[in-house]
Amino acid sequence: MTFLVLSQILNGLAIGMLYALMAVGLTLILGVLNIPNFAHGVLYALGAYFTYTISELTGSFYVAILVAPFLVVLVGFVLESQGIKRLYQAHHDYQLLFLFAVALILQEVIIIVWGPVGFSVLPPAALFGAVDLGLLVYPKYRLALVVFSALVIFSLYFFLTRTNLGAILRAGIENREMVTVLGIDINKVFFLTFGLGAYLAGMAGALATPIMGLTPSMGLDILPICFVIVVVAGLGSIPGAIIAGILIGLSQGLTTIWWPEATNVVIYIMMGVTIIFRPQGLFGIR
Amino acid sequence: MMQNKYLLLITLAFVVVIPMFMPPSTSAEMLIFGIIAVSTNIMVGYTGMLSFGQAAYFGIAAYTAGLMLKAGMPLILAAPAGVLLALVTSGIVGYFCVKRTGLYFICLTFAFNQMFYFIAYVWTDVTGGEDGLPGIPRPDFLNDDITFYVFTAVVFFACMIAMLKIVNSPLGLVFKLIRENPNRAEAIGYNIQLFKWFSFVIASSFTGVAGTIYAMVYSIVPIDQIHWLKSGDIIFMLLFGGSGSFFGPLIGAAAYIWMSDTFSVIWARWPLMMGVVFVFVVLFMRGGMAELISNIYNRFKKPNGDPEKPDDTSTDKPVEVRS
Repeated sequence: MTFLVLSQILNGLAIGMLYALMAVGLTLILGVLNIPNFAHGVLYALGAYFTYTISELTGSFYVAILVAPFLVVLVGFVLESQGIKRLYQAHHDYQLLFLFAVALILQEVIIIVWGPVGFSVLPPAALFGAVDLGLLVYPKYRLALVVFSALVIFSLYFFLTRTNLGAILRAGIENREMVTVLGIDINKVFFLTFGLGAYLAGMAGALATPIMGLTPSMGLDILPICFVIVVVAGLGSIPGAIIAGILIGLSQGLTTIWWPEATNVVIYIMMGVTIIFRPQGLFGIR
Repeated sequence: MMQNKYLLLITLAFVVVIPMFMPPSTSAEMLIFGIIAVSTNIMVGYTGMLSFGQAAYFGIAAYTAGLMLKAGMPLILAAPAGVLLALVTSGIVGYFCVKRTGLYFICLTFAFNQMFYFIAYVWTDVTGGEDGLPGIPRPDFLNDDITFYVFTAVVFFACMIAMLKIVNSPLGLVFKLIRENPNRAEAIGYNIQLFKWFSFVIASSFTGVAGTIYAMVYSIVPIDQIHWLKSGDIIFMLLFGGSGSFFGPLIGAAAYIWMSDTFSVIWARWPLMMGVVFVFVVLFMRGGMAELISNIYNRFKKPNGDPEKPDDTSTDKPVEVRS
C-alpha cells in the first residue's frame, strides 16, 4: 500500500508539473493579453507531435525536446500577429470564437498530417526503465520529467521576478494601462507573452509524449483541466497556477488508487469546493 | 414593436418552407438549435454575460427527458422534468458564476460545462457513457416525422414568443442596462447579481426546452451534445447570426446545421472547414448576418421611400428662427 501511494504521489507530481507548465502559460496570456486562450490545448498537442516527428527524423529525443517548443512558438507568433492582434479591441466573444476555431482547425490539421490513430513514444535509452529508490521502484523518465519541469518553472520564475522584461509582464497583469502610459510598446509585450505561453504549452506537450502518448484529441482533453487550474488558482496569479497545477495533479494521482474512473471528476470537485469557500480562487486577490 | 411581428411572420414562413428542402429531422434540429441560440443570446447579447457552457444545460435536459421516456413515462412528465433539472442545475451553477465577471465568468462556465460532461462520461450505468443514450422512444402521437416537426415548430414558436416578451419586458430592459452600464445599474439600486442570475437561469431553461425535444429527434443523445465543443458551436451561431438582434441567432443556427450537414458529407475533416468559416466570421463579418441584412435593407429602403422628400434628420432646409 505504501508502495502504491508513494508511486501515485510521484505520478501525480509528474502530471502536476505538466499542468503547472500549461497553467502558467495560460495565466500569462489571460493576464497580460486579457484573452481566453482556447487554443492553448492544441498548442500543447502540437508540441507533442513536433517532438515525435523530430525525434523520428534526428533520432534524438533531447534535440526534439529542445526544438519542438520553439516550433510551437512560431505557430503562436503567427496566430498572434495574424489573428489575435486584430481582436484586442473586440469583444471577448469574438476572441473566444477565433481561438476556438483555431483549436478546431489545428486539431484537424494534426489528424491530416499524423493520422487519426494515437501512438506512443518511448523515452530515450538513458531514461528508459526504472530506478530503485529504496522504498519503491519508479520509472526513470518520470523522475527526470519532475526535475526538468521544476527547472523550467524555476528559470521562468527567475525570469519573471529578476529581469526587466519579467517585471513588465507582471506589471501587464496588474495594470495594462499603466504599462502603456510608461512608454512601453504594449503590442510587443503582447507578442512576446503569447510566444512565451506557446513555448510553455509546447514544452509541456514535448515532455508529455513518453508518458501520455499521442492522440489528436490530447489538446482538447487537457484544455478544460488548465482552465480549472486557473479558476482554482485565481485569475492572474502565477505562483497560484504552479501550486494549483501540482495540487490537481496530486489529487488525480491519489484518486487513481481508490476510484480510477473518477480521476477526471475529482478536479471539478476541487474546483467546486474552492469557489464555494473562496470565490476569487486560492491565490486570487480580485 | 411592429417590426418584430413582421420578423416573426418571416420566421413562420421559413419554418413552413424548410421541410420542403430538407429531411424533417434536420429541419427539426434547426428549430431546436434556433431555440438554443436565441435563448443563449438573452444572456450573451442582451445581458452581456458570455457563457461558454450552455451545452451543459442542453445535455442535462436531453439526458433527463431521454431517461424518463426510456423508463416509459409520458412526455407530459418527461419534458417538464428535463427543463426543471436544467433550471435547477443552472440555478446552482449560476449562483457561483454571476459573482464573477469577464474572463473569470467565461472560465467558470467553461469548467462547469466540462464537469457535467465528465459526469455523463463516467456514469455509464445511467447515461451510457461514451456511447451516448440510445433507444429513446417517441410518444405514439409523434411517431410520424412530419407530426414531430409540427410539434417542434409549435414549441419553437411558443418559446420565441415567450422570449420576445421577456426581452421586451421591464426585466429585459434591466438586462440591457446591466450590459450597457453595470455600475450605473447598481447605483440605481438594482441587485445586478440577482438579475444576472435571472438571465442565466432563463437562458438555460429555454436551452433545456430545446434539449428535451432533441432527445426525441434521433432517439439518441450522443455524448458530444454535452461537450464544450458544442458550447463553442452555440457561440458561433450567435455571432454568425448577429448577437445584436433577437432574430439574428436563428440565421446562425440554421446556417450551422446546414453547414455541418453539408460539409460532413463532403469531407471527413469537416470541422476544419467549420473552423475556417468561424475565422472568416470573426475577421470579416462582425455584427453577423443580422447587421448585414439590415444594412442592405436600409440601403434599398431609402430610394424606395419618397425620393422627393429628404430625411427627417437632414438639415438642408434653413431652420426657422423664431424670435
